[in-house]
Amino acid sequence: MSGYDLVDIEVTHESADDLLDSLSEDGTDGSHLQSIQAVRLQAGQPDSELRSLKELDENAVKLLEHQVDAAYRALFEMDGKALLADEVGLGKTIEVGMILKEMHFRETDESVLILTPAQLAKQWQAELREKFGLDFVCNYDDEFEDFDAHDYIIASIDTAKSERHRQTVLDRDWDVLVLDEAHYVKNEETDRYDLIDRLSYNYAFFLTATPIQNELTDLYNVVSLLRPGLFGTRDVFHQYFVNNNQETLVNRDELQDRLNKVMIRNRREDTDIDFTDRTIDTRTFDPTPKERELYQAVSDYVKGAYSQDQGQKLVLMLLQKEVVSSPVALKQTIEKRLYDQSELTHADELESILDLIDEIDTVTKQERLLDIVEEARDNVEMGRVIVFTQFRATQQQILDRLASEGYTVHAFHGGHSSSEKEQIVEEFEEEGGILVSTDAMSEGRNLQFCNILVNLDLPWNPMRVEQRIGRVHRIGQKRDVFIFNMALKDTVEEYVLERLYHKIDLFQQSVGELSSILSRLEESGTSFEDEIFERLVAADSEVDLENDFDAMAVDLQEQRELADKLEEFNSGVFEGFDLGESDD
Amino acid sequence: MTEASISVTQSVVEKFTERYLCSLGCSIEQSDDHWEVSVPEATETVISQGKHMLIRGEVNPDDDDENTKRLHPESAFFQELLREASERSPSGKVSIETDSDIEIPEWIHHSSVEVENAQFTPYYDRIAIVVLFRVGIETVSEYQQELLRAIAVDTRSEEILPKLAETFLDSTKVETETATSDDVQLTKTNIRPLLETARELLLKNVQGKLDSIHREASRAADSEVEEYRQMQQQRIQELQEKHSNLSSKINDLSEKINSGDEDSRVQALRERKELKSEYEELDETLNELQERRDSGFPERQREIRERHSLDVQVRPLTLTEVEYDRGEIDFELVDGSIHQTVTLGYGSGIGVADTVRCSSCERKLTEGNPIRAISDGLKCQSCTKER
Repeated sequence: MSGYDLVDIEVTHESADDLLDSLSEDGTDGSHLQSIQAVRLQAGQPDSELRSLKELDENAVKLLEHQVDAAYRALFEMDGKALLADEVGLGKTIEVGMILKEMHFRETDESVLILTPAQLAKQWQAELREKFGLDFVCNYDDEFEDFDAHDYIIASIDTAKSERHRQTVLDRDWDVLVLDEAHYVKNEETDRYDLIDRLSYNYAFFLTATPIQNELTDLYNVVSLLRPGLFGTRDVFHQYFVNNNQETLVNRDELQDRLNKVMIRNRREDTDIDFTDRTIDTRTFDPTPKERELYQAVSDYVKGAYSQDQGQKLVLMLLQKEVVSSPVALKQTIEKRLYDQSELTHADELESILDLIDEIDTVTKQERLLDIVEEARDNVEMGRVIVFTQFRATQQQILDRLASEGYTVHAFHGGHSSSEKEQIVEEFEEEGGILVSTDAMSEGRNLQFCNILVNLDLPWNPMRVEQRIGRVHRIGQKRDVFIFNMALKDTVEEYVLERLYHKIDLFQQSVGELSSILSRLEESGTSFEDEIFERLVAADSEVDLENDFDAMAVDLQEQRELADKLEEFNSGVFEGFDLGESDD
Repeated sequence: MTEASISVTQSVVEKFTERYLCSLGCSIEQSDDHWEVSVPEATETVISQGKHMLIRGEVNPDDDDENTKRLHPESAFFQELLREASERSPSGKVSIETDSDIEIPEWIHHSSVEVENAQFTPYYDRIAIVVLFRVGIETVSEYQQELLRAIAVDTRSEEILPKLAETFLDSTKVETETATSDDVQLTKTNIRPLLETARELLLKNVQGKLDSIHREASRAADSEVEEYRQMQQQRIQELQEKHSNLSSKINDLSEKINSGDEDSRVQALRERKELKSEYEELDETLNELQERRDSGFPERQREIRERHSLDVQVRPLTLTEVEYDRGEIDFELVDGSIHQTVTLGYGSGIGVADTVRCSSCERKLTEGNPIRAISDGLKCQSCTKER
């Protein structure tokens, strides 16, 4: 509309006499500041705020602006029903932690149910406890009874939907529901969708980096669970927003307006997250002939024993892992088995393995570790290095060895109390030297003051590897990070490293990327560790084994590519959450 | 330009209330959900002498009484407290410390050049006034809008100092504890002309906001005018129909007069006379309406536009004398291995006072055109790109 005639503006300046008269009045010092503040407050609007922010322990969690903003919007602008759809690695879990902390502060969280993919449940539990001081029971904890026995529960979505628990979950009115990896409920014909659809709750926070998995209907389904009616019926959504010929979006502005009411999506480029570089140095060493002989003997034993009794899987897996960590770790386990169990099959094989262990006088990895720590002593501030191993026996042997070489050493394992753990980390920061840690370190503790990490042995679970790296390479790390991986040639470790982890670029994954790959893998019903073990024991020859691992790598790569593609696709669709020009 | 209002959150409310009451001599015992306030004798404030309970937040639905008040952003008690505090000392004085943080100009900040050291040497004291103005904008079609703006004017040069106004706002947030006194040096006579300058600038600054409200109001007036025009057009059409009906009725009667018997002729003549007079009246109304339409209903338009006009009320609420220092600053710049020192005019609270130009192309250095090279004078991004 143009060509209108403008209406008049009349400006009236009110008299300043009263103000000028106040110049001569006596007041007290400071009262003028209060008058200014009062005037500024009178002109301001009442505003909500995150009141629990100041209760947070700054050492445990450093909140970023986009996270605080997301928590605020989800709570106050979206009335506690929001789809948190940040790109991967921007801390959606932290955003939910903040939201839950605030609800706890405001006492609106009598019952909270967090549903996650199975392998992320414990990680959620640890993060909420350590960063936000929120205690949840996880369905994998011994103390977990049922969904009506606790008020703060983290559970695998599949446990919740299982025949055994489903009715209990549905019978309860939950205050808050959190659904991680919400794209799992994209399909309205699945049991998972049905569970969420029937759940009764007051507030809900759904998380996903990729709200659209295959088609725009995914978005409709996820959003409609949160806000039924926001998009109208399925047919209306399709007719209005989807161009059926090309499966593209139409009426983007309208879609964006409606999504804005329920979805928050931060992009990496809009945040101030800036990770330093990560350098990976994988070192493989030729084992000594004795070590080679031992490895072969253990592998043969494991294979033979597993073919006879699959019930021993866990302990056999342990032996296979220990043989590449250290002979001493292996020795402890075998001795325990030999002396604790009277009716043991293959006892003589185990006895002969013990003999082989005793014959080893040089442990290659430990010798080579000295090269790395020595280099660090010369080049890095206070020579700080973190060495990770999965086994206490290996840890102890390394500690002794390093101490005998004159290094300052610190030990960290799950046996310490939490105040002891804090003390150890403090001493490591102050005194420098080498911290030798088991994976008990992986949960929640931040060691940004150190930038060199050695994986003396490698967990077969990539999430564990990421957690180790995440202790040093995280927001707040100011220097480039160096990761050393140690492996013996032609062992399972070398396969896992070279054929699997490097293929998915595990060591270069930014925080969070991995979980999206692994969640996809889990979706296909596979446990990573089991897969590795099964392939190892099933292979008839070296070539077979290599082929098997290659096949697994192809699977992984596919998952990775899929995850990448999805991420890219979603970035395109939600570009800056500004859905761009309409196609119509 | 920065809006000077402060969002009123619960924590801000509590912080301000605590400071204010303590400055009056009250003592406060705080617990989780309430405060116990003791007001000493001879204290003039919204709550009377004695012990009072302030309930935090909106949880308690009970009404306030003499000794129990609620404390939250919208509570009556807090509003009353603000009114009282705002009137207590609307004029006063603050000093911007010389050792306050050095303000690095945007054209360095947004470049790869780093400042290794910055040394400010103050040469003389200057005084400015900062006035907080409330601007109320009212029109029938929009909600009333209120803006609060800070304007800073140097008392000697009458130069406008937007950066100083920002510094003033930063140092008077509720979280800060800037020292103020009531010992103003300037007199009413000094201040009046400065106030005029500040008012002029204020209007310039809020012009954008005024323009947008003005356009909205004009659009609203315009559509009302259009609505009126359409209504009148409709009326014209109705009248025209009536006009043409009457005209054909008169024609019918004329035929009757020519052809009928005497009685019916007389009857028809009488009727025709009545209709003719009605026709003439209608004709006049119609002509008048058409004329008004053709000239665009000027009176009605004026009336509508008057009703939609913007009423802008400007009121100075506080006046602060601000002492600041002016002098020179030496920035030691580093770009890789190259070091360079530049000396610029600078003021505490106002930052770099000089306009700095590229030594090669004379373009002004700004946030969008930052410094790029320092080896041979200061060179800007645009001219190093062109090479």
